Amino acid sequence: MATPTTTATLDLAARFPGAVSADARPGYKGWIVEKDKLIEVATAIRDEFGYDHLTAVTGVDYLPEGKMEVVYHAFKTTGGPVLTFKVQVPRVDPVEVPSVTSIWPGAEFQEREAWDLLGVKFTNHPDLRRILLWEGFEGHPLRKDWKEAFYEEDAKPFKSRWPEGKHVMAEEKNPFKDNINFPKDFDPEQWVPEGEAALYGALARYQVQEGSLKTDHIVINMGPQHPSTHGVFRAAVTVDGETVVSLKPVMGYLHRNHDKIGERNTFLQNMPFTDRLDYFNSMSNNFGYAVAVEKLMNIQVAERAEYIRVIMAELSRIQNHLVFIGMLGNDLGMMYTPALYAFEERELILDIFEAVSGSRMMCNYYRFGGVVRDLPEGVLEKIKGLVFERLPVKADELDRMLTENEVFVARMKGVKVIDAENAIRYSITGPVLRAAGVPYDIRRADPYSIYDRFDFDIPTRPNGDLMDNYLLRLDEIRQSLRILQQAVKQIPEGPVMTGKPQYQVRVPAGESYGRVESPKGELAFYVVSNGKPNPFRYHVRPPSFVNITALEKMCVGTKIADFIAILGVIDIVLGELDR
Amino acid sequence: MDWTIWVEWLIKSLFVVFALLTGFAYLTLYERRALAKIQVRIGPNRAGWQGLLQPVADAVKLIFKEELTPAKADKLVFFWAPIITMVPSIVIAAVIPFGPTTTLFGRTIVFSVANINVGVLFLMAVASIAVYGIVLAGWSSNNKYAMLGGLRSSAQMISYELSLGLGFVTAILLGNSMNLHDIVDAQRNVWFAVVQPVGALIFMIVTLAEVNRAPFDMPEAEQELTAGYHSEYSGMKFALFFMAEYQKMIAISMIAATLFFGGYREFWFLKDTFLSVDAIWNIGPWQFQAWFLGPIYMLLKVVVLLFFMIWIRATWPRIRYDRLMSFGWKVLLPLSLAVVFISAVGVLVAQQFDNNWYLAIIPIFSSVAGLVAVGFVDQALRRKSYASH
Amino acid sequence: MSIDLILFLILAVVAVATALGMLLSKNAVYSALFLVLNFAAIAVFYLLLGAPFIAISQVTVYAGAIMVLFLFVIMLLGAETLAPSKVLRGQGWAAFGLAVVLVAETVYLLVSRHAAVGVIARPDAFLNTMDSLREIGKALFIQYLLPFEVTSILLLVAMVGAIVLTRREKGG
Repeated sequence: MATPTTTATLDLAARFPGAVSADARPGYKGWIVEKDKLIEVATAIRDEFGYDHLTAVTGVDYLPEGKMEVVYHAFKTTGGPVLTFKVQVPRVDPVEVPSVTSIWPGAEFQEREAWDLLGVKFTNHPDLRRILLWEGFEGHPLRKDWKEAFYEEDAKPFKSRWPEGKHVMAEEKNPFKDNINFPKDFDPEQWVPEGEAALYGALARYQVQEGSLKTDHIVINMGPQHPSTHGVFRAAVTVDGETVVSLKPVMGYLHRNHDKIGERNTFLQNMPFTDRLDYFNSMSNNFGYAVAVEKLMNIQVAERAEYIRVIMAELSRIQNHLVFIGMLGNDLGMMYTPALYAFEERELILDIFEAVSGSRMMCNYYRFGGVVRDLPEGVLEKIKGLVFERLPVKADELDRMLTENEVFVARMKGVKVIDAENAIRYSITGPVLRAAGVPYDIRRADPYSIYDRFDFDIPTRPNGDLMDNYLLRLDEIRQSLRILQQAVKQIPEGPVMTGKPQYQVRVPAGESYGRVESPKGELAFYVVSNGKPNPFRYHVRPPSFVNITALEKMCVGTKIADFIAILGVIDIVLGELDR
Repeated sequence: MDWTIWVEWLIKSLFVVFALLTGFAYLTLYERRALAKIQVRIGPNRAGWQGLLQPVADAVKLIFKEELTPAKADKLVFFWAPIITMVPSIVIAAVIPFGPTTTLFGRTIVFSVANINVGVLFLMAVASIAVYGIVLAGWSSNNKYAMLGGLRSSAQMISYELSLGLGFVTAILLGNSMNLHDIVDAQRNVWFAVVQPVGALIFMIVTLAEVNRAPFDMPEAEQELTAGYHSEYSGMKFALFFMAEYQKMIAISMIAATLFFGGYREFWFLKDTFLSVDAIWNIGPWQFQAWFLGPIYMLLKVVVLLFFMIWIRATWPRIRYDRLMSFGWKVLLPLSLAVVFISAVGVLVAQQFDNNWYLAIIPIFSSVAGLVAVGFVDQALRRKSYASH
Repeated sequence: MSIDLILFLILAVVAVATALGMLLSKNAVYSALFLVLNFAAIAVFYLLLGAPFIAISQVTVYAGAIMVLFLFVIMLLGAETLAPSKVLRGQGWAAFGLAVVLVAETVYLLVSRHAAVGVIARPDAFLNTMDSLREIGKALFIQYLLPFEVTSILLLVAMVGAIVLTRREKGG
């Protein structure tokens, strides 16, 4: 059940005559803002209309129209539908758009990403560097006229891979080097990564005051190979003794341009591809993508499938939070004990995923209009056993094991992650936002699927410190169990798919922004279709990536050990952070 | 000096060195199996029966691993640092008595490599030397993580050495001697851990910090400093650090057992039975003292103390560095001073009235002091304001 | 030659060599390490003289605590290979002259008082027992109580001074 996104309550065009017009293209919604008026309009959107939470910033390259469009999605943290506004600029370099980081600082990394991948230059951006690609990269790959190495065709399925007796690999047709673009005068032997200098330059330099004692600061590179960065994430940290003075996250080591590959794929081919985003929660990823495309297709999801979807998504949330708590213990130096207790339960949940989808982690279970197959026999009983008997007990066990541990409390309590006001400004979503005291959960604020039928609370915690973040995860496990207990009781019989399963879905032209509350925050997919079998634009708004924007804000002034804990609490997964 | 004394020294030294080396090997296995049990897994059980050959396999692996020396490391110090770490961890065991003085082959045998009168001070001296290896390893690696680890550990060990020293003082006061044999003998009737429970507890906490074990494993702090001071070490050089850490664990457990848990002496309920180390056994024509029970009791106590170390490692997170320092300076040090003071007063009063029952004021008052300290820590945790930044 | 004499000669060489090494090494860390070795050699001298308490105190306090702090400071400041600071003119010569005077004095005292003192008595019968500790304790806490307390207050004042000097104002 796709929630209708309506902008009827608000008429930007009337408020800003001449500067804002409604987007009249078929299948499109929202407002088109004049580039020069963007800051003024955005300020009004935040202050007058109360859209305090800018969740997504991205761009689309409308090559046929010769236009570049930057799309903003704003929400109210009190709940309600989306406000979409766009800026269109001619597709002539430099493509310049004012940066909205002065209004919503959370846009910083997303604007950097748009610059990196689309070449939209955001004026007045504090630190506009490439973010996902390496510094020597030539071009902006999400532009429609950009061709990757070994380019074959615009859209899959490629003819060379089609089984017609002969099968020629693109790599064989194009020998190495022939079609790889380097910047002009590029010599790999001579190349010095300029970005490194820029990165270290971006670290705030500590000014030594005259007359005071001179202190040396050390720049430490935490990562990309580091036991506690949860993958190949790197943070260049300046420390004064043990205290973090400044910090810059560096990412993209795992980048594969998910968006570009998604545009090549057909709509259905993207479904298994979303599994690879947050590889702990492939069910939630599937859910988000399915919601986005179903909105575009305007189809109803089969009733039983809705229940199965919710069950799987909530189980996924539980296992994510279990692993989160376990690995947090590890980040604090607890030598794997809580992690292994958590993994024991996670394995049981993964057993269920395996039973329904055939795979433990890369589930690829959802389809447009339903799920791929019904629950096998006996699985529902297993789920019932888990959610009624085993998991509540085990959640209490973890609670007892950690919450009363003196050293654990000493490490966690009072170490501020972020406060409510800054969390909203920095577009933070998910548990981190709720631990700061903002009761914002998409399942309640902008309900999708059938979450409006269940009775559950949105837990919040008042302090926003590490301890609250940890306790909030426990609360969420318990609330998810409540949802699950209702869902497994109510689940009806019936088909699990609307219509017939098909390989090629017909998606009408238009745009849609589908979002779900993934265990890590708001996972959203912005999909633009032009009626062809492949999406024209496929953008992922991953919670990890946006939540990490405030990392420096969170960490400055804390100790190195706290930085590790804070990074753990944000709960990043590099699969979706780097995409 | 006659040659037999050399033979005696040789045998005793070899015994201690081999005990430490094999002890180290099987401590790793013990730790891994115990951790596994705590963490609902099985642990190494493939090499040999119940994994008993696992230490051998590990040793072979480490010997054949490639040794790397970073290009810009200080080669000389980099080479010597593991050795400097290793030596004190063995030397420290030299003064620890592991059996009662007895007569064998017509000679009076003292069961410690060196029975020196200032044995406790010797422990202190060697413990204070042990930090060099870590500091130098951290410095010579030319690696920021290693450097930070080395700096952390030197600050930490210096800070905790004070409380460690005061722990020694407590035992000296109660035992009225600096000789470890005398201290053990003084615990014939009652362990010092009973007379001075708070002192014993402080001593155990401090020893954890001295051997860099969790939750005080700052210098290594895997999650923050990758591996701290031994980040750049591999192969046998790394193995030496590893050995040193575990031998220090064993040595420090032996010291704790000696100072507070009656050392090689039997458990209190075995006093005056045939299982006492003083008992004379008559088997057939032979009549001899049951001195060989000494090492066995020692081993039992050490195994139990080691289990506590492993248990703590499995269940507690690492304390943050600044908290560690303030805990050492603001809680442990004043509390140990109070404990020493109370012990001295108790001993004096007992001497004055010539009644050992007056020693009971020591556990009572020091427990009160300990509870006050715990109360302060608790208050500090509760009161902690939310740091703004 | 008795074993003590052999030991003494070896130790003397070690002590002098490490002292020279301390003075001559370019790297401050090496200097510190040479000094540690020197302290250790001196400690063994004390042992030879039959004063284990002083020997072990030497190791604990100087080698174990003070030199670790030295190393700590050297590493913290990254001062391993600082360029030599400004030297007063003729400083080297002055130092050399003073050293010569010191050696001459020592030799004179040893030679002139030799008859009076005789062979330096080995106080092992007295010092190598627990009694020596008692005697030291009694001397410190009864006979020299005032100087002892004054010294400790001096140290305390120095410590407070150091803390005040390095303390950074909150928020500064």
